[in-house]
Amino acid sequence: MSMDQCHSTVGEQPASKPRAASHEQVGTDGRKYWRSVEDLADTPDFREWLEREMPAGASLLLESSRRSFLKLMGASVALAGAATIPGCRRPDHKILPYSREVPEDVIPGKPLFFATSLPLPGGDVEGVLVETHENRPTKIEGNPLHPVNRGKSGLWAQSSILGLYDPDRLKDPVLASLPGDEGSKSRSWDDVAAWFGPHFDRLATKQGQGLWFVVEKRQSPTRDAVRAMVEKRFPRARWVSYDPLHSDAQARALGAVIGKPCRELFKLESADVVVSFDRDLLGLEPGSLVNARGFASRRTVETGAMSRLYVIESSLSITGGRADHRLAMAPSMIPSMVIALAKELASQGLSLPEPVRAALGRTGTPTGVTIDSTFVRELAKDLLKDDQGWARTGRTLVCAGPAQPAGVHALCVAINAALGNIGRTVSYREVTADFASNGAEGLSALTAELEAGRVDTVICIGVNPVYDAPGTIDFASRFAKATHRIVASVDDNETVAASTWRLPMSHWLETWGDAVAIDGTASPIQPMIAPLFGTRSDIEILAMIAGVANPDGYEFLRNVWRERLAGASAGGFEATWKRSLFNGVFAEGTAMAVDATVGARAADQIARLAEAGAPATGENFDVVFAVGNVGDGRFANAAWLHELPEPTTRIAWDNVAMVSVATAVKYGLEQDKATTEHRMARMIELSVGGQSVRLPAWVTPGVPDNTVVVQVGYGRTVCGHVGTGVGFNVYGILPRDGSRSARGASIRRATSGPLSHQIVTTQAHGSMEGRAIVREVDLPAVKKWGSFESNRALLAALPSEKRDRIKYDSYKQERDLNFAEMLGELSHTPANVNAYINPQRGTKTMENAPRGTHPSAATGRPPQPNTLPDFAKRPQWGMTIDLTTCTGCNVCTVACQAENNIPVVGKAEVNKGREMHWIRVDRYFAGPNVANPDSVLFQPVACVQCENAPCETVCPVNATVHGPEGINYMVYNRCIGTRYCANNCPYKVRRFNFFEYGTRKLNGGFIGQETLRGAGIDGPSNVNLIPPRLREQINNIQKLKMNPDVTVRSRGVMEKCTYCIQRINEARIEIKLKNLDYIPDGFVQAACQQACPSGAIVFGDIEDPESTVAKLRNGQRSYSLLGYLNTRPRTTYLLSVRNPNPALITDKHRRHAWDEPFHHGHGPDADHGGHARSGGAMPPEHASASVMGVDTLKRIEDQGYRLSLAVLAGV
Amino acid sequence: MIFPKWTNTLPTMLLGGTLAGLGLVIGLVWYYFTPKYWRTGYMPAQPAVSAAFEQDLFEAARRDSRTPEIPGVMYPGFSHQIHAGKLGMDCRYCHSHIEESAEANIPTVSTCMGCHADGHVNTLFAKAERVQFVRDAWEADAPIEWRRVHKVPDYVRNFPHHVHIHAGVSCLSCHGNIMEQPVVHQVEPLSMGWCLECHRNAEPHLVPRDKVTDLYWVRDHFESTNFRNTSGTGADGAATPGGAALLKALEEKNLHLLPANCGACHY
Repeated sequence: MSMDQCHSTVGEQPASKPRAASHEQVGTDGRKYWRSVEDLADTPDFREWLEREMPAGASLLLESSRRSFLKLMGASVALAGAATIPGCRRPDHKILPYSREVPEDVIPGKPLFFATSLPLPGGDVEGVLVETHENRPTKIEGNPLHPVNRGKSGLWAQSSILGLYDPDRLKDPVLASLPGDEGSKSRSWDDVAAWFGPHFDRLATKQGQGLWFVVEKRQSPTRDAVRAMVEKRFPRARWVSYDPLHSDAQARALGAVIGKPCRELFKLESADVVVSFDRDLLGLEPGSLVNARGFASRRTVETGAMSRLYVIESSLSITGGRADHRLAMAPSMIPSMVIALAKELASQGLSLPEPVRAALGRTGTPTGVTIDSTFVRELAKDLLKDDQGWARTGRTLVCAGPAQPAGVHALCVAINAALGNIGRTVSYREVTADFASNGAEGLSALTAELEAGRVDTVICIGVNPVYDAPGTIDFASRFAKATHRIVASVDDNETVAASTWRLPMSHWLETWGDAVAIDGTASPIQPMIAPLFGTRSDIEILAMIAGVANPDGYEFLRNVWRERLAGASAGGFEATWKRSLFNGVFAEGTAMAVDATVGARAADQIARLAEAGAPATGENFDVVFAVGNVGDGRFANAAWLHELPEPTTRIAWDNVAMVSVATAVKYGLEQDKATTEHRMARMIELSVGGQSVRLPAWVTPGVPDNTVVVQVGYGRTVCGHVGTGVGFNVYGILPRDGSRSARGASIRRATSGPLSHQIVTTQAHGSMEGRAIVREVDLPAVKKWGSFESNRALLAALPSEKRDRIKYDSYKQERDLNFAEMLGELSHTPANVNAYINPQRGTKTMENAPRGTHPSAATGRPPQPNTLPDFAKRPQWGMTIDLTTCTGCNVCTVACQAENNIPVVGKAEVNKGREMHWIRVDRYFAGPNVANPDSVLFQPVACVQCENAPCETVCPVNATVHGPEGINYMVYNRCIGTRYCANNCPYKVRRFNFFEYGTRKLNGGFIGQETLRGAGIDGPSNVNLIPPRLREQINNIQKLKMNPDVTVRSRGVMEKCTYCIQRINEARIEIKLKNLDYIPDGFVQAACQQACPSGAIVFGDIEDPESTVAKLRNGQRSYSLLGYLNTRPRTTYLLSVRNPNPALITDKHRRHAWDEPFHHGHGPDADHGGHARSGGAMPPEHASASVMGVDTLKRIEDQGYRLSLAVLAGV
Repeated sequence: MIFPKWTNTLPTMLLGGTLAGLGLVIGLVWYYFTPKYWRTGYMPAQPAVSAAFEQDLFEAARRDSRTPEIPGVMYPGFSHQIHAGKLGMDCRYCHSHIEESAEANIPTVSTCMGCHADGHVNTLFAKAERVQFVRDAWEADAPIEWRRVHKVPDYVRNFPHHVHIHAGVSCLSCHGNIMEQPVVHQVEPLSMGWCLECHRNAEPHLVPRDKVTDLYWVRDHFESTNFRNTSGTGADGAATPGGAALLKALEEKNLHLLPANCGACHY
């Protein structure tokens, strides 16, 4: 069996060899950190991986042998010759100005921003600002005025620009062959209207009998108004608002308990203690932007009391990763946990309503479920009283996720009501009953009608039930029984393929409409661009059905809002209308009034929990359905989302069945013939209630035993060039009530068909060899040591020779190390002496720098000849990334991709480590247990802009050089592709463009293969062998998405983050035009910073003492990644801080670290000379840390550091 | 004696010849493989309306070469010499966003029609046959195609016109005596070395902010050929700020002025 992802030595500590030290890592909180199972296991494969910069085969041509290379080179030279004969002359560039109609406000060369809103799955809405260049949308940002976004944005908003310029979009209405028709052919909208007229007149005479609508679930007043028109014309037609992933259980429970159909909203910023039962508050669920913002506001150590997050979950979500306490339990066991908590709360004095108490009394803990009673007791205590003994009334929150049954949701409402949280940390907003349900009942009824042959016409708008209907509703096979199947969709999909009329629908960036967010904020959708393909919006198509000739979405929208905004303010409708469009908000929502006695109504639901079936033990499995990057499948043609690694497994281009280590061992799910280059995952068959699906198994730490976590939305069969055939469809086993978990599943290894499947993961790419990269401490340690005063006290207590040793930092500048630096290597690294002085540093800018701002002016010492030049003239750019608030949501990666024209490379290339993301999110597990890590840490890493950059010194052509504002420039046109810089980069953030990824098709082949065939060349596999002029003819539509302010890089060129230099230059110019003499803080934002929902990324001028970034950088939590290398990074990281419940921490090393975080000889008081010789100086607690197989090795590692530094210093 | 005596000089001659040839090749490459040779003087006919019209334009352009208007011979295409020179129109009348955008926009047909529409301005030429293409474009609601003369390579991001104008770099510094060119041609090489020449020493190239588009003023105050604002006084004798004073005023701002680093243009 391979050790690759599943080793059988669970719980054992890896046998350590002395050299294994370089991969070992001990966190600053006394725990061990590791990136993957191989890492912890330190397998030979993994070590080889680390030692090779690129995987084997990285230098091979893409799918091409040498012979075919020569053949193709010949052909392409011939072609290039033919194409470039007139090439000596300067190309004739034409400039086309506007003619008669000059668009309002457009200044050529300057982008305009418009507010609009993006409807998302689950009825979510994001208010966004769209950057348009000459009215061509290129980038999406959050709308600062929209209460959901507040300037931030999510994954799907960032990537939805791809959907607009998707070459696979439906372009013309198509009438499939009907009896008496000769094959399908493209039609015009006039043809559609001509066909619709008599058809719907006929249906109208029958009052719509046999007419069904299956429509995307969405809250939209205008669409509702058009729906009313449709229902008036066809009173007997049936309307299904469909969303396969919406949990009916949750809606039902909330509806029954609160009294009306409603949705819940959280205010995490008001909660001191948050308990999540399987709810991914920060993940891809409606409202996660609001949640992330609220959560982050309570996790900043500097600005107030930290909140505490308990997560009891069945999958490894990013919320669980950020939790202070995480428990992994199968979804069927979590109800017992909630019940136990409720009982414990009651016994500790919480007054739950009598019916609830009675219902709880009838429930018990099923056999096979073990409840950690200490955990429950301490959790209950924490919910009721804070550590000062004050009651926490209204300052806590208990919530449950969509994988949980109705009773759990009801019980959470009861607990929240009793804790006084309703109206404070949780509120409810009324929605229509239609919106509250997932529509599966309606779909089920439709299927029955179809079976009975009573359906004349089915109209599907924006939905794909042929693909995503739950397996128990066999919609796909019965859909064809409807005589007329009219499907309107933006993209091609399975339902479209089965239709008789396919109607191309406008992308949301091309339509007029409106949308209501989960918090009730109503916002307009306004078009950024005229429909690219002559499409129509859902509102217009519905209006056509209602009998309106040539409908105009704009008029419908205005009519609806003319009524609603009547008398809204002075200035009349027109003024209000224009202001609403400008702001992107019509009206903000209001919460429902809920009386505090609401808990009593929860009793019925809670009582039903006792009837739940057997929990997942033995051969009985639970399945958890997680929502991945592609949502419910609608984003499956967006290549950015496929290439974006899943946050915790870091798997790209696939979905897998995540199983625990014990399950994998039991069922033999180890990888098949695995190496680190080819991860072949075993296929399993997963069966629930007679339905079964096949997908690859993947061992994932943190998944509870007897639980399989699968992601929906993959395995599309009709999708487009990108998404078709990626991953595996698991809708076949999704329960019809939209619950995200299924019970009573069984798994077995596949015995027929393909037995394994290649999985690519970025899990171990770019590993930084286990140095103290992520630093984390618990809150008590910060409280004790996290101030300069306490550090000074610490220093004062030291003997003078030790004090001298740390008086200067590694840049030979006298200053106090901050708390975070003392935790890492900087504290015991002797001051660096530069081996040489970089002649490039003596720039004019330096000499001109005003001396008053020189750091040496403060110390009174002359500038030292061997120090690096000071960058004294403002602005000096810098960034901080807060590891406490980073949730690992990956939005930064996609935002960067959209801003900087970063290509997608496809599955095969990701496997070779050639992904192009300029900012990646590294994931580290914490804790000693492979199967169940305590928590997960996420660390976004982009180029850190070293002041003393190793990449610059090795570039033979000066393609990467330093700028006067501290940015490490990358000059693409100078780069000749030696890749020396990437070799010399300690952070592994440089990306090499191996091929013309921009023109490659992602599922094999390349765009333009047809073009080449036309030129008489058959079947080349390397797009780079096509002459550029032929390549240019390819797919012009996709070029539209490019940001015109950033170069589209070619192959053979190194690229990397430059702090969004195009934005910086733009800002600098604006400031000059405005005659200001500095760039105000916040005036320029990097794309990652702008998108980051939790505000973890801060960017600005570090020379401006008032800027946020300077304050954070000079604070106690800031440390440099690999700072002891004297790279002097401009990006610093802020120490991650957790706030565990002291009563629940029994690990004595961790507790010791609260008093004395400078363990393992890293602290300033450690005897550097001594501890390499003997461990005797360490307290017994420290000595016992070597049980973890770490301490001795760490000391050897320290010796290595010292030796290398001594060599550098010439000592 | 098989070889005559003169063959003794053969090695020397060969060596000398080779060196001379090598020198010639280097010299030729040195001179001809530069933007100064390849780009300077590029003078396409404007606008690119129809093939027949273009033919006329090309012939007229060849006839006029780069000399100022020959009396009696009128260039049939768009002439900056007439608009900016004789009529004295401000650059910003047509290139209207030059102070706020990186791009010097090409005027819309509406701008042309401000004068050339029927019944607007009844001068001799505003309604002439040769401007029919403007009215045709208006009728057809189609843009007029112009040819790009000044172009920086693709790996240089947007030459920002606005900030240069703001700093006091006159139009003439890069585009030459535009008011005397019937057909606009590229005067400067627009090479990186040429850019840096000014960025390293901007002093001679700066004029007061309000004189940037005052082409004749600039011409009169600059030294005749290479446009250097050193005198401090103009031809009319009035005192005007010299480049040194203008540069000093700019440098009082605590920003990185005149960036001469890669990241200013290449990203």
